[in-house]
Amino acid sequence: MDNLETRLVKLALKGDQRAFAEIVDLYKDRIFHLAYRMLSNRHEAEDVVQETFLRVYRNLDRYDPGQKFSTWIYRIGTNLSIDRLRKRKPTYSLDAEIGDQDGADGYALIPSDNRTPETEYMISETRTTIHEAIDGLPPKYKTVMILRYLQELSLQEISDVLDMPVTTIKTRVHRGREFLRKKLESQNY
Amino acid sequence: MNCKQAVSFMHEYLDGDLPSEQARELQSHLDACPDCRAAFRRLEETEMMLFAANRKTESVSVSDDMTDRIMSFLPQPKKHNPAWNWIRRHPALTAAAAFLLIMLGTSISFWNADTQLVVKGSDLGSVQVAGNTVIVPEGTTVSGDLTVERGKLEIYGEVKGDVTVIDGSSYQASTAHVAGQLKDINQAFDWVWYKLGNIFSEVAYR
Repeated sequence: MDNLETRLVKLALKGDQRAFAEIVDLYKDRIFHLAYRMLSNRHEAEDVVQETFLRVYRNLDRYDPGQKFSTWIYRIGTNLSIDRLRKRKPTYSLDAEIGDQDGADGYALIPSDNRTPETEYMISETRTTIHEAIDGLPPKYKTVMILRYLQELSLQEISDVLDMPVTTIKTRVHRGREFLRKKLESQNY
Repeated sequence: MNCKQAVSFMHEYLDGDLPSEQARELQSHLDACPDCRAAFRRLEETEMMLFAANRKTESVSVSDDMTDRIMSFLPQPKKHNPAWNWIRRHPALTAAAAFLLIMLGTSISFWNADTQLVVKGSDLGSVQVAGNTVIVPEGTTVSGDLTVERGKLEIYGEVKGDVTVIDGSSYQASTAHVAGQLKDINQAFDWVWYKLGNIFSEVAYR
């Protein structure tokens, strides 16, 4: 996998546009879901995806093949998402309120999602609770929880992406987990 | 083991980082403490739900045309022909070549355009001109350089500087004495070099 990415990067550096398109295809969904979970806004998430790949393209010559490509691109995508989250902080609580009032999963507000009745059904109450709980976390916990549970990165990988010690990541995962446990308890038990 | 330590062990266990010895300690505590047993079960459930809630059941996906959109946003690749690429890679050489070309062009056009005799020097008082011929008479001295373009030069006296003849001919009598160099330039190419040399020395002395 890593080998393929390194090869694609080399080709893209030589000006092969198709190679770069393949990199985009490999990572666009992962970066989109990361950004979407962070920002809860489809439009902004797509902006982050575009910006991420633009940065990757511009800095391709600075990519160190000794590093995992996924770590590198996740770092760019995560930082861009966190930046946006920080910038809009003043309106943040307002957004949350709108979500609460609708009592929806937050996605109901987004039109044309190609959602079939089947997928609609699969959005269970528990999922909603979890997503809302993660949404409400402060950015530093939110990021770690999303990378851990949505992107399924290992603690070591998260530490590489965020450039923080593993012990810090662990503490955040532990606290996030406790927080989620309490949320689920208050809802379901 | 107290309950607080047990909770921290539970998290380590869920991270997959609890050494087997501590795992056994945790197990024996859980066997003895119903509260911690319940807490552990809920934590395990939370962990599973966290993964399940997000795993591959994302209800939203990125637009289908995202790849195309990104590719169209990218700065256009540099698709130039090889010559252009060479030029981009060697800017200094290109500039030098362009300079030479322009110099050559203007010089040749000047060279072709002028047909008149030109005499240049800092001390031309004693120099005689007869038709197409420039004469430095016997017994006279030209104290500086002497340049003759498109004409014959006959030297009988003394020149203390350099003598240059362009597109002409020169004759030195036995009585002649040239202190500096005597240069005979007859071709356009030589002449260009001569001009270039002048430019560079002028630049150097400024």
